[in-house]
Amino acid sequence: MIGETLKRKNLNVEIKWEEIQLPLSLKIEKFFSKPIYRKSLDSITIVFFVLVIIGPIINIFSTIFLNIPSISEDVFNDDLIGNLQWLNILNSLGVSFSIAAIAVAVDLVIAFPISIILTRYNFRGKKILDALVDLPMAVPTSALGFSVLLYWGIFGVEPGYTLIILGHIVFTFPYIVRNMKIVLEKADVLYEDAARTLGAPGITIFRTITLPMMKEGVIAGAILAFTRSLGETGATIIMAGLVETAPILIVGFRRQLELPSASFLAGILISISLILLFSMKFFTRKVGFPVKRVWPNIERFFSHKYFRYFRDALMMIILISIFLIPSFFILSQIFEGDLIGELFLGQDYKWVYLYASFLSSIEIGALAVAINLIFGLPFAFIITKRKWGKVITFLDTMLDIPIAIPSAALGFAIFLFWGPAGLGLFQPGFFMILFVHVSFSFPYMVRPIIGVLESANIGVEEAARTLGASNLTVFRKITLPNIKQGIITGSIMVFTRSLGETGATIVVMGSIRTIPVLIVDWVEANAFPSAIFASTLVILFSAILIFALRTVRKRKR
Amino acid sequence: MRNLPTIELINVTKTFNEGRVLAVDNISLKIEDSNYVFLLGPTGCGKTTTLRMIAGLEKPTKGTVVIDGKDVEEIPTEDRDMGFIFQHFEIFDHLTVWENVTFGLEMRGYEENYIIEKAENALRTVELLDYADEFPSIFGNPGMQKLGIARAIATGAKILIMDEPLGSLDPKVSKVFRHELRNLIKDLGLTAIHVTHNQEEAMAIADKIIIMRAGRILQMGTPYELYENPNSIFVANFLGETNFLQGFVLKILDNEEMSIWIRLGGPKLNCNNFGNKFNLDDHIVISFRFEDVYLFPKDYEFESSPYDWSKIQLFNAKLETSRFIGATKRFYLTLDNGDKFLSIKPGTFEESFTAGEELIIGIHQDDIHVFKAPKNLIYELSLS
Repeated sequence: MIGETLKRKNLNVEIKWEEIQLPLSLKIEKFFSKPIYRKSLDSITIVFFVLVIIGPIINIFSTIFLNIPSISEDVFNDDLIGNLQWLNILNSLGVSFSIAAIAVAVDLVIAFPISIILTRYNFRGKKILDALVDLPMAVPTSALGFSVLLYWGIFGVEPGYTLIILGHIVFTFPYIVRNMKIVLEKADVLYEDAARTLGAPGITIFRTITLPMMKEGVIAGAILAFTRSLGETGATIIMAGLVETAPILIVGFRRQLELPSASFLAGILISISLILLFSMKFFTRKVGFPVKRVWPNIERFFSHKYFRYFRDALMMIILISIFLIPSFFILSQIFEGDLIGELFLGQDYKWVYLYASFLSSIEIGALAVAINLIFGLPFAFIITKRKWGKVITFLDTMLDIPIAIPSAALGFAIFLFWGPAGLGLFQPGFFMILFVHVSFSFPYMVRPIIGVLESANIGVEEAARTLGASNLTVFRKITLPNIKQGIITGSIMVFTRSLGETGATIVVMGSIRTIPVLIVDWVEANAFPSAIFASTLVILFSAILIFALRTVRKRKR
Repeated sequence: MRNLPTIELINVTKTFNEGRVLAVDNISLKIEDSNYVFLLGPTGCGKTTTLRMIAGLEKPTKGTVVIDGKDVEEIPTEDRDMGFIFQHFEIFDHLTVWENVTFGLEMRGYEENYIIEKAENALRTVELLDYADEFPSIFGNPGMQKLGIARAIATGAKILIMDEPLGSLDPKVSKVFRHELRNLIKDLGLTAIHVTHNQEEAMAIADKIIIMRAGRILQMGTPYELYENPNSIFVANFLGETNFLQGFVLKILDNEEMSIWIRLGGPKLNCNNFGNKFNLDDHIVISFRFEDVYLFPKDYEFESSPYDWSKIQLFNAKLETSRFIGATKRFYLTLDNGDKFLSIKPGTFEESFTAGEELIIGIHQDDIHVFKAPKNLIYELSLS
């Protein structure tokens, strides 16, 4: 009897697993799973977010406030030019806003039919068309702007206001179509079918059933496109001629070291963008579309299939002639001019610059991805998992700021905060470019990760914990494989945004050049063959990235 | 006997949304070793929250959870050494069946040979050993839950916690499955807690049932105790099929008996009044099970039967209609005052009454349970 009891006791000892040596990796993860380390990581992430994104923006407002005398002297009451500076600023704001408004309006008209064709129709080559429509988003805008310049040059369109509009509608278009496509794919076709069985003609169905369902996507896409147009620098410099938009003016002020004027304009741009951002956040749900009245006869007449054919054909022609061909026209120009002589045999060693700037672009892009990954992952976890109530709402709204404000203004804000005029920790150059790129691409990393985290199943994580896995082990073995897609998507988005950025880079670059800036430089110096070659290079590179992104997405489904 | 872990909750309260939602309201309970205990209650009664607090997935707002004599407040889920089975399985679908089952064993740092032995045992128990190298996506719901069970028992944890483990299976499968589950738990000698809202499931396989409602424990006991002696209208209604009639206390006969009057011209019955809980004129509700209602034809000769009728309450009722539903027959009856009740008999019950016929109804005094009528009686009877 006693022996029996002892034996059973021994069995019990065998299952006392606390005494067994854990493998080192599990031991480390267990150690760092303590709440204190999670709290420290949270704090470090928040500090990073404040320093990189909120700090510079608050700083620019305080700088304006503290420098009211010098601003009023420089901008409003200059000894020589009076308030010419202020008139310049007003003029550039007018130009920027009218261009953004016209570009978005044109985009919207064309994006509705195109997004419906891309989601509701089935035809051969749909995927390729879809990819082509998306591609300009990944291509550096300066390459795109250069291509547009060359294309419209054939028709005699000179650099200036009109050309800027033609350029801006091209690179903002994908943002609008993409957002419309997302809501259209989510909206159930059954509602449209129900309306059809009740006798509604196509146009009425679109106006009263489909459009209200698309509302949020349309507004989000339009505002995103508007802010992107407002903030665009690289392509605009190429296409502007003598016209000055607000970001070009900031770049100009910065080059001439007129810091008070620059910070004043940056402050105005940031304020306007923030107002736009907040109005999008708060009013999207309250906007209504006119759906009450119907005009059955007129709408039935225009819903006739010949009208539909005509409309679809017209839109495809516009899409191809105004969007697609201009975007890739540059590829046909690669053999024009004396490329070899200029790029490789010239006295100024252009190919060395090309090589060096390509390398810096990729280095900066890769480092931006790495840094954003390190801080973006915990930040996405904070937004989705912590129950801090209003703090989370606040952080969530702040996260969109870098998307909304013009990157040249954000770049200038960071230059002021961290550069010689502020804390003096960074000089313009490689690290400051990196810093700026990390800042404006941060949300592009965090948003996709939040997306997958929100749809991820918390149950499996709890299951893993009940099986004895510590928090960090759960993260490595369960969470990470489930959110991999979001991380890859975010990384590619950050990389392409970093690769394509011009305005912010020019503001903080010092003597370093990135590829888009180099293209701008060469176009300004009339070295067209080399600029064409560099543009072709980045367009192909971006095409590969977009292709990779789409493969990742497809695997998700 | 081996000393298996006991689980004890002492005055545990849990609120959500900064105190605005009260999920668990100051409950205390103790679960002894080798018991198969059910937490039973309607949706939103706090049973799952209670379970999650035991597993450490939620922290109690107040009170202590004691496992094996130790306060586990500072012990995180992963160190509590429990098996947990989920309603939606929560199988790791990016890992193979084998990797799912070995997950817990690897987290405990066991040697490879030991892991292989334990995982093979667990998979063999649920008959999934042949699928070890497959990904779990090939399984339907029953296969998924089998894998969930294998994964939870493979670690050798002596406490098994189950949150609606049969809730995602279709009713027929779940009826077979539940007996296998009970056999498994008894074979392994586990202390098991099982949350469900399905009273039939609980009655069928529980050692002990704890009935919860609105964050509180209403009653606990063996299935037999709860069925025979429900302590509230809710419990009487929740377990089994029960008739409820309202009435008044007419007369207190002695310390243990009273006479009641079913309202508005209904019959007068004698009921038990143990502990003298009721006073004269109290508004009361009586409950009796469908199957405890006996039916006799009008001309039945009670005197010639050898049975002791002294405790049988007899009264008249009209048969409205009867329905044959396979295994059972249901009789819909009406009292003179219009109150309705039901009797249930086996399908083989031979007496053929016709609709509209006057019958004599017999109910044993001990089968009638009397409760004070609450103000929100209709709400009480709606099972919410």
